[in-house]
Amino acid sequence: MCMRCANLTRRSLLAGGAVAAASLHTGVAQARIRPQDMAPLIGPGFKPTDKDEQGLWKEMERAEEEIAGSNLVIRDPKLTSYLQNIIGTVGGPAAKDFRIYLVRIPDFNAMMFPSGFAVVFSGLLLRMRNEAQLAGVIAHESGHFLRRHQIRSWRDQRRKTDLFAIGAMLAGVGGAAGGVYLGDYVRLAELGTILSLFQYSREMEAEADAIGSKNMAAAGYPPVEMSNIWQQLIGEENASARYRGKHRRRGSLFDTHPSSDARMADLRADAAELTVPGKVYDNGRARYLSTIGEIRPTLLDDQVKLNDPGASQYLIETLAQDGWNGLLRFYEGEIWRLRNRTGDDVRAAQSYAAAVVYPDAPADAWRWHGISLMKQGRRAEAKAAFNRYLTMKPDAPDAAWVRQMAG
Amino acid sequence: MKAFTTLALLASAAGLSACSSVGSGEYGGFSDYALVRVARVNVGDGQMSVVAPRNYNRHRRILFSDVRDVEDWTLNGPLLDGISFVSGMNNNRELIRQRRTANQQVPRFRSDMTPPEIAAMLESLYRVKGGAVDLKTLSLQPRPFLGANGFQWDYEHLDSDELWRRGRAVGAVIDGKLYMILFDAARSHYYEAVLPDFESIVASAQRRG
Repeated sequence: MCMRCANLTRRSLLAGGAVAAASLHTGVAQARIRPQDMAPLIGPGFKPTDKDEQGLWKEMERAEEEIAGSNLVIRDPKLTSYLQNIIGTVGGPAAKDFRIYLVRIPDFNAMMFPSGFAVVFSGLLLRMRNEAQLAGVIAHESGHFLRRHQIRSWRDQRRKTDLFAIGAMLAGVGGAAGGVYLGDYVRLAELGTILSLFQYSREMEAEADAIGSKNMAAAGYPPVEMSNIWQQLIGEENASARYRGKHRRRGSLFDTHPSSDARMADLRADAAELTVPGKVYDNGRARYLSTIGEIRPTLLDDQVKLNDPGASQYLIETLAQDGWNGLLRFYEGEIWRLRNRTGDDVRAAQSYAAAVVYPDAPADAWRWHGISLMKQGRRAEAKAAFNRYLTMKPDAPDAAWVRQMAG
Repeated sequence: MKAFTTLALLASAAGLSACSSVGSGEYGGFSDYALVRVARVNVGDGQMSVVAPRNYNRHRRILFSDVRDVEDWTLNGPLLDGISFVSGMNNNRELIRQRRTANQQVPRFRSDMTPPEIAAMLESLYRVKGGAVDLKTLSLQPRPFLGANGFQWDYEHLDSDELWRRGRAVGAVIDGKLYMILFDAARSHYYEAVLPDFESIVASAQRRG
């Protein structure tokens, strides 16, 4: 019975957050909208004047307050100011008005709320290969705000919805966004209604793509990275689904079908239009890697421990396109170890052994290398690996157990 | 038997209310919980017995959805505290029922697992089924259990309901089977308040058969 409950946990939060959000993944573009045709509909310091929008903003203020105070927010000043700088660069006329929050959720998602604050999931930072890709997602989300998609969609949906009071829906939105959504089945039905409240149309997604690409290119990022992001997202979802012997989910929050190929084609066409021959574009990869360097092991850890081998393997291999290192090899081993099928112990052992050859191998790679060696009966080598682990991490929380193994 | 539901519930505010809304609850004269009195009782599939230090609430077994050798107790309700028993789980078995096609899965238990591997299996349980977004190992150390060389794993985790919870698992692999008692509670107040009960239960544990 309660297995059903478990399914409502993090997903409820994600769905809830995506409510106001109409997240990164919803909707698809059908007819290409050219970037040069996309002008922002608001200027700097925008404040709503219509009564319904003022009411919406008031509710969103409450949601923002909850999010800002949430335990899930990653309060790293370096990362926060980095994200704020990016949105300040690609956010168009509202660049200086946006607020942005990074939350610890290992999923590929980002969302813009109707009053101009954005939430980025930590899983997004793991998946982006460079700053240009991150800026592309943020520019896309900012585009929804600049084109006033949330209020347009809300007004449209409100006309269709009379099952629940709007105030109650927004209370749900606020709670969900803050991660405190206490959903039961009654509320879940309500959530379904809320989900459609801010759903972006395909046209809106196409607009956000176009204006996002334009703002991204104007900031000096290679606009082609926008289509690369979608390619990576679709590749990951396919890999995850294929691994479990099924098709990628359709018609869900994370849907990009039916015309994901068309959308990518449009984005590539946008990029070709926006790219100025001879101009030097910087994808900011070095800056990106140095900024997220400290948190990257945590991001990988959060992903790999979900034991979704298809997605995790795809991610590791995507990141490894920029070069293998000890960290990636270690987490490759973790994927096999957690998958735990016949022969996976050998695969994991090989990855750990490969990881510890790199100078950046994390201490944990040595520990797991030691455990693998011990299981193979190679006690002397295992002991050396354990000792290496203890040298690197003398106050490791499991030092007592490892010392017993090494002793 | 119970399918580690406490763990899922503990980590999920959404979980409890969802369950209580569809479960029969106490209003119809039937509860999801049964009373455990202060006496020696068999837990899980009966391969382990313990003595409850005071009256406890045992989550009733749900046919088909639960794992036979796992049982959950709680004192103040599963959102606040819970004690789970694993009574001799065999090789290649799972702590919780899950769909084969689920993208994210809790690893199966293997008889040759070392304590760090068991801890990692539990960590995935919290992350995959409990909605934990962060989990920190506080300590992993050797500890005798049921007369065998076992382990004690202390940890804390942040769940998607934004609450920090803390836990302790004491277990051992004996003849290839996993025996374990696991305690998990809100870090604030409940962990410290119920820990003596847990330690008393662990001290009372005996293997049967």
